Amino acid sequence: MILFSCEDDKEIDTQKPEIDTTIPNAFPANCTDTIYFGEPFTLNLKFTDNVELGSFSLDIHHNFDHHSHSTEFVECHLNAKKIPVNPYVLIETHDIPTGQSEYVTNLPITIPTSNDEGQLFDKGDYHFDIRITDKEGWSTHFGMGIKMMHR
Amino acid sequence: MLLLGMSILYSPLYSQTYYELKGTVVDENNSPLIGASVLLNPVKKGTTTNHSGDFRINKLSEGKYYIKIQFIGYQILTDTIAFVRNKKYKFQLDISTHSLQEVVVTYDYAEARKKEEALQIEIVNEDYLKQNLGGSLMGSLERLSGVSTIDIGSGQSKPVIRGLGFNRVVVVENNIKHEAQQWGADHGLEIDQYAVNNIEVIKGPASLMYGSDAIGGIIDVKNRKPPVENSFGGTIDLSGKTNNDFLGTSLSLFGRKKWFFADFRVTFLDYGDYKVPTDSVDIYSYRAVLHKNRLRNSAGKEQNFHFSFGIIRKQFQSKFYLSNVNSKNGFFANAHGLEPRNVDSDLHDKSSRDIQYPRQKVNHFKVINHSFYQWEKLKLEFDIGFQRNFRQEWSQYVQHGYMPALFPDTLDFNPELERQFEKFVYSGNVKLFYQLTDKTHFNLGLNTEFQDNQIDGRGFIIPAYRQFTLGGFVFMKHHFSDKSLAQAGVRYDYGNITTYNYKDWFRSPNIENPDTNTQFLERSGNINRHFSNIIWSIGYNYNVNKWSYKVNFGKSFRMPIAKELGANGVNYHRFSYEVGNPELSPEISYQFDAGLEHNAEKFAIGVTPFLNYFSNYIYLNPTAKHDRLYGNGNQVFNYTQSRVLRYGTELYAHYNFSKSLQIGIIGEYVYSEQMSGKKKGFTLPFAPPPSGIFNIKYQKQKIKFVENAYVSIDFRITTPQNNIVPPEEKTDGYQLVNLGIGGKFVFNNQAISISIQVQNLFNTKYFNHTSYYRLINVPEAGRNFIVNISIPFSGKTKQE
Repeated sequence: MILFSCEDDKEIDTQKPEIDTTIPNAFPANCTDTIYFGEPFTLNLKFTDNVELGSFSLDIHHNFDHHSHSTEFVECHLNAKKIPVNPYVLIETHDIPTGQSEYVTNLPITIPTSNDEGQLFDKGDYHFDIRITDKEGWSTHFGMGIKMMHR
Repeated sequence: MLLLGMSILYSPLYSQTYYELKGTVVDENNSPLIGASVLLNPVKKGTTTNHSGDFRINKLSEGKYYIKIQFIGYQILTDTIAFVRNKKYKFQLDISTHSLQEVVVTYDYAEARKKEEALQIEIVNEDYLKQNLGGSLMGSLERLSGVSTIDIGSGQSKPVIRGLGFNRVVVVENNIKHEAQQWGADHGLEIDQYAVNNIEVIKGPASLMYGSDAIGGIIDVKNRKPPVENSFGGTIDLSGKTNNDFLGTSLSLFGRKKWFFADFRVTFLDYGDYKVPTDSVDIYSYRAVLHKNRLRNSAGKEQNFHFSFGIIRKQFQSKFYLSNVNSKNGFFANAHGLEPRNVDSDLHDKSSRDIQYPRQKVNHFKVINHSFYQWEKLKLEFDIGFQRNFRQEWSQYVQHGYMPALFPDTLDFNPELERQFEKFVYSGNVKLFYQLTDKTHFNLGLNTEFQDNQIDGRGFIIPAYRQFTLGGFVFMKHHFSDKSLAQAGVRYDYGNITTYNYKDWFRSPNIENPDTNTQFLERSGNINRHFSNIIWSIGYNYNVNKWSYKVNFGKSFRMPIAKELGANGVNYHRFSYEVGNPELSPEISYQFDAGLEHNAEKFAIGVTPFLNYFSNYIYLNPTAKHDRLYGNGNQVFNYTQSRVLRYGTELYAHYNFSKSLQIGIIGEYVYSEQMSGKKKGFTLPFAPPPSGIFNIKYQKQKIKFVENAYVSIDFRITTPQNNIVPPEEKTDGYQLVNLGIGGKFVFNNQAISISIQVQNLFNTKYFNHTSYYRLINVPEAGRNFIVNISIPFSGKTKQE
């Protein structure tokens, strides 16, 4: 019976972290925002958790073939399907300072215009995926449809 | 002429005035008939034969008795016995003619077997499977207490025993461990449920006989027993289901001359997309609209064949089992794993029976030989098996992470081949049963297995590996008396696993080290591990009158699998970057099992609790981290080990109002908690919620030309599961009503068995906590009418 006595000595966290896209100057927004190659933009989203946030990752990849859907209800207006030639890929992971239950990204990002060989990246429909975790390993995935253009 | 031989001995007991009647009941092959019922009149003393076909009736005084021995499929034996010293009796009797194809497993057999086994077991036969026919073998067994499943779609499910599944449950078919890709949640068990004659489910650690992996329990599947001498016959099964427009047929033929027999079966199943009681499915916040309530692209088909043959002599038997189970089935098209996908609805919705991408193909080929020699007190058994499991997952090529946007044409695999596994398995067992005395039996054995697992396709999830295991055990059973028996055993296992190096087929940019601009990442190295372990088990059974008590205490173990040691890739079905740990130690588990059962004519009740402790449960822990280079931005999941405490119980009771009307209840409860590590306080993944079934059954032996007619109503209550671990979702409770009706229609000696079921009578929308699709909010199947018609035929050939 001693084995059973150690229950309830720890409150179990069963809540996922949340992504708030409604803060002022939130960027990017699903189906509305365009990111321009070679120009900086600021990732501006608010993450919250009931206990403590963990880390987040960003993933930008093309959706020229319309292969996948965003995680959101709204259907974005997509350009016609096309074959990728030199699509842009961004994968970044970022830790969130320890002890935070709320975090606004405020992260400046500049997308290059071309690859190392000087070939321009393809413009068009892209997916912008954000994944966040809390300290316990609960995760939330938020996928948006955006456009990436050359100016 | 078919014989049921029986010999009866008697020996003086206590004093000169009391005697004990001892006997053995065997079939025409000299194999013991287990669970035959023996009744002695006029004293009205009854018993059933044990695993050796033996029975005893004691406290008999000198005199004249009438003995009656019954066993299904055989004619009832009645005779008069006068007690005279040192006289032996021999009886011959005919097998009942119109029941050559009858199932040999009876309620009596199950009862007798349970009394001999210190762990909790459930035994079901072919009839039970047909009356509870589900989408797959495990689906049909789900009603059993302590048994649940991890499902994907309507035709695929994996066994879970008391909350443990995957590589913690062993499936044995014809004495050989069924080996496939047990670690994966997205495919089922490659066993043809139409070919199953009876199944024994051992709930609890049974590593003693089957080695590593049997830590949670065993599903022991037996194909049909050889037919009786000079007979032939077969069965045609026809099944239909309304929910997924399922059509299935299985045809079997068997025959036996004097000592040679052959048995053949083909099974064809074909089903469409299954229907769910909802118009749309919310994958995260994205609402996938369904066409006519069908879960797009969940159709499938299966073609299986089985051929067995062998020789049966009095002292020697050798049987060969060949089988090939082949299936092809689609995955829900709007999500590949957990990733929402855009689909070409016109293409998918044109037909509900086509199987588009994503889909899987599985082929499982098996050859098994089972042979034994039998002497009076000694039996030597050999099992040899070869298996090839071949599984492919096909899906549209999608650029994930750093994969190239366009698949290069320089590679030697098809870009649409996502994963491929090809596993060759060679197994062997040698077992020796020795009857030291009437009361003491020994069971010695050696099991060995070699696995060679090769991988292919664009995705990497487990490394290629080779694995060798060898184990030996000694097991002893001693009857102190008719009522009480003890059993104890010890086993040693050795295992070796070697994983093989794997590198990505595409380059990834190494931002941290700009000298090497891009590289082919090494996903897995050459890991070589050796394991060895000693395990043991001790149990005691006490059966008195209508009560039976059992306790068992044992240690079991499980060797880490290749995935746990060597995984280092992204599982795009779950957005997890899964990292193995080459240093993992074998899982060790200690379990205490108890059983208390009362079984009277009118009323039965049983409770079977267990307490289980793992000193180092292997657990895939979701961390707070994301990884860029190797994980392509996905969340890091690490294989770790933690102490785990689990306890639970099954409970059943039934009451017979009359010979025909019975009410019953079956319940199950499991609690698991991680006692250490990163997820201390959390449960384990796929924890089945507490559930219960209330049942009313009306059955009659004979209503006009219908034999064994029954009507049954199940009311299932499943409580919510709020005890979760990332990335699971809490799941609401639900109530379901299932109906069953059927019987055996007999016209002029020809029997036709019909079982009809209505599953989910009220078309209730509910979620199954242990379904693969739970995380993307796909509800379980809606109302389903299921019909199974079974037409057996048989005859006898003239004796030469």
